[in-house]
Parts: sequence; C-alpha cells; structure tokens
Amino acid sequence: MACVNDGIMKVTINQKGKAYEVVLEGRLDTTTAPKFQEDITPLMQAAQAEIVLDCAQLEYTSSQGLRLFLMLQKSVMKNGGSLVMKNMIPPVKEVFDITGFSNIINIQ
Amino acid sequence: MEPNDSHGLDLHCQLILEEYRDMQPVFATMKEVVTTELKKCLSRFNILVTAVEARIKSEDSLIGKLQLKGHKYKTLGDLTDIMGARIITFYSDEVDKIAALMEDLFEIDRENSVDKRKMHELNSFGYMSLHYICRIPEKLYHDPAHPEINEYRFELQMRTALQHVWANINHDTGYKSGVEVPVEHLRNLTRLAGMLELADDEFSRIRRQITDYRRKVQTLVSSGNFDEVGLNGDTFRSYLTIHPFERLTGRIAAINQAEVMQDLPMRYLDVLQHMGFKTLGDVEKMKHDYSEAAYQLALHQLGGTDLDIISSSLALQDLCIAYLVQNGYGEKDLTQFFESINGPGPYNITRAKRILELVADLQWTSPTQP
Repeated sequence: MACVNDGIMKVTINQKGKAYEVVLEGRLDTTTAPKFQEDITPLMQAAQAEIVLDCAQLEYTSSQGLRLFLMLQKSVMKNGGSLVMKNMIPPVKEVFDITGFSNIINIQ
Repeated sequence: MEPNDSHGLDLHCQLILEEYRDMQPVFATMKEVVTTELKKCLSRFNILVTAVEARIKSEDSLIGKLQLKGHKYKTLGDLTDIMGARIITFYSDEVDKIAALMEDLFEIDRENSVDKRKMHELNSFGYMSLHYICRIPEKLYHDPAHPEINEYRFELQMRTALQHVWANINHDTGYKSGVEVPVEHLRNLTRLAGMLELADDEFSRIRRQITDYRRKVQTLVSSGNFDEVGLNGDTFRSYLTIHPFERLTGRIAAINQAEVMQDLPMRYLDVLQHMGFKTLGDVEKMKHDYSEAAYQLALHQLGGTDLDIISSSLALQDLCIAYLVQNGYGEKDLTQFFESINGPGPYNITRAKRILELVADLQWTSPTQP
C-alpha cells in the first residue's frame, strides 16, 4: 500500500495485481493538483491497469482535477486498462455534470 | 526417403531435383521477400484481405510432378510454382484491384499467367482464381551474391475467400486426379460452384450499395438537406463530422473562457431516437429552437463557478435537457435521460431533481421565447 498525505489531499493506492484501488481524500485544486499528478504517474504507465478511484472522501475538484482525471483515463485506456470513479459526493458529481465530463468519464 | 534415391526419375529429372535442393535458401528468401512486400503493398493501399500466405513446393510434390511430366522441363527455372504465394480477398472486385497493384510491384510473365476465371465454357462452372507468374524485380530486392532470386519465377494466386473454399473442396474430392467420380457428385459440385460465384457477386454488390448510401448521406449532410436524411448510426456519425453544435459549444465555453475537450457524442443517438426524432432535420430543429435555453441553463450552472474546462458534448446534453423540460417531460423522464447517457446510478434522480429546480428559476416559457 502506498500512502501520500500532503495535509490537504491524500492519495492511498492499494494494488492487487493489475487492480488498483485509489482512495482520494480532501480537496483537489490548483494547490494540490501537482502532487496528485505525481502520485498518479505510475498508474498512467501501468499496462492493462484496472483502476477504481474511490471518491467518497474527495471534497472538491477544480478544473485542474478534471484535466488530470481525463489525462489518467486517456493513458489507462491507451495502455489497455480501465478507469472507474465511484462514491462521489453530490457537489463533486455536480462538477462533472455541469461541465459534461459525466459523459466522458465512467462514473458509478 | 533417401536423398540419393532416384525415385524412378531419369538423370535429367534427378539434376532438376538436385538443383531444387541446392536452391532452398534462395526460395526461402524469395518467400520472405514476397510475403513482406505483399503485406506492405496491401497495407499502403488500405486493402483488407483474409490472408496472405506463401509456401515452397515440397520435395515429394516436385518428385510427383517430375515423374508425371518431367520431360517438359529443361531446368528447375522452367517450373514456375516452386515458390507460390496467395492473396485471399473478401470481395471479388478486389481481386482485379490487387492484380493491378501486383503488376506494378512484380515483373509479370504474361505469357504464362492465366485468368482462370475467364476459362469457363458457357455451359460449365467451376470456381477459379487469377494466377500470375512473377519475378522479383531488382528494384524491389537484389542480392549480388544470389542473382537467382530475381531469375526464378513464382506463382501468385489471387482469389476470394469463397473461391478459396471452392478450390479446397474441389481438391479434396480429387476429381481431377483421374479417379472417376459419379456424375451425380460432379453435378452437385457444379451447382455449388455456381452458388458461390453468385454469393461472391452479391457480397460485392451489397458492399457497393452501402458505400453509395454512405456517400449519398455525406452529400446530403454537407449540403444541409437534413430533412431528407433519416436518423441512424451512419447518418448521425456523418452529421457530427460537420460539428453541428460548435457554435453553441463556443458560446458556453465563453462563459468561463473554458478549454473544450473533444468528445464524440454517439451515445446520444439512442436518446434522440427515443425522443421521437426521425431525421437529422429534427435534430437541427431542436438546435434551432432550444439553443438559447440550453445556453441559459449552462450559464446558470457554470456562471457562478471558476470551472474552465468543458466537454464538447455539453452543448448537446443541455439541448436535450432544454427540449425535454420545455416539452413537459418530468423527473422520471429526465432520470431516464441521464441513465441513457451516463449509465444507471443513484446520481441520476438527484440530478433530475436539481435540473427541475433550476429551470423553475429560469422561467422558461416556450421554445421560441426561451
């Protein structure tokens, strides 16, 4: 298990073979986005990774977060894997809805 | 089998067999070059085929041939099928297209090439392929240590998948081997050959019709005759290539100077059909009548945020929402709409409720007075 806590945004990655459960906690905004990008870089390079982002404790995402989620999805699909986001709280889901990102990212 | 066994061959044929054994590396190189160049050529011209295959004639097969008609051949070079390649196509009209490409790719020995497709009598059937006898030209491959690579000829067969089936079945029955086959069986084989030939022509005809239809749709879409174009997967895809929602997307993006991420909203096809749209003209009418309402919806949702990235499918999403709400569709229908585009989930009903609350504030009245 890899655990990253920068005080504002925490990313925990649990890996079992090609399956990755990524638990997101806190706020994903301009301040925390660079560190988040660094945290997910290994996932973008993994072959055929099956990634589930657990967003139950993700309090907020900005446009920068949307860009990174999209970038992650593109890389994962290019490498033959899959990405699902689940357990979003309503305010976070609304960000995806009103930007049309619910149409392009797999949310459960 | 002993290599030095004469196999009942006379001295002349034994020399040919000896040359065949010595030249195995040359034929192996020819096989490799021909296979590689065929695949490259087909790929360059975007021709999909079922198979490209090549083989070197087995020693047993050569001995059999020499035993039967060895006197016909002065040297190994007179045998044109020691190396053979085959291209198996999906469609009969592609055989001619590929043949034209082969004429540019290889040096063709026209005198010995045969179009077996044209060899039938009016009252006979059989299902044959096009055979070219070729050489590898020096401009394609040349090894000064092995000039034979450019001297030996090889046979190239071009046939459809159905011709290939026919050839294999025909070979399997062995009716050319001199063994007498009852007339009834030959008649059945002939009937089958006729059916395969008809099927091949029919496949080509259907493909041409589909291609013509797609061209016609593209022309109608490009010329803006949307009312004449039915709404289906092909037409909707063509429609999206002209970026019909670009202007509305641009207006929505301007709210927060947002970056637009491109998305092909094919998933909306089912929704639009479910909404009763029969033609692209219906989609255009929705765009004309509800663009302002869709913009107002986006303005109220995005205006109070600093979100500066949107999906290009947002315009169509908001158009559909505006259409559904203004035509009296309720919470259940909106929930179904979100399920259709985003998949099932508990979010959809919440989102439908929020939209209905929001549009109550917008005080939309009618499509023409949004």
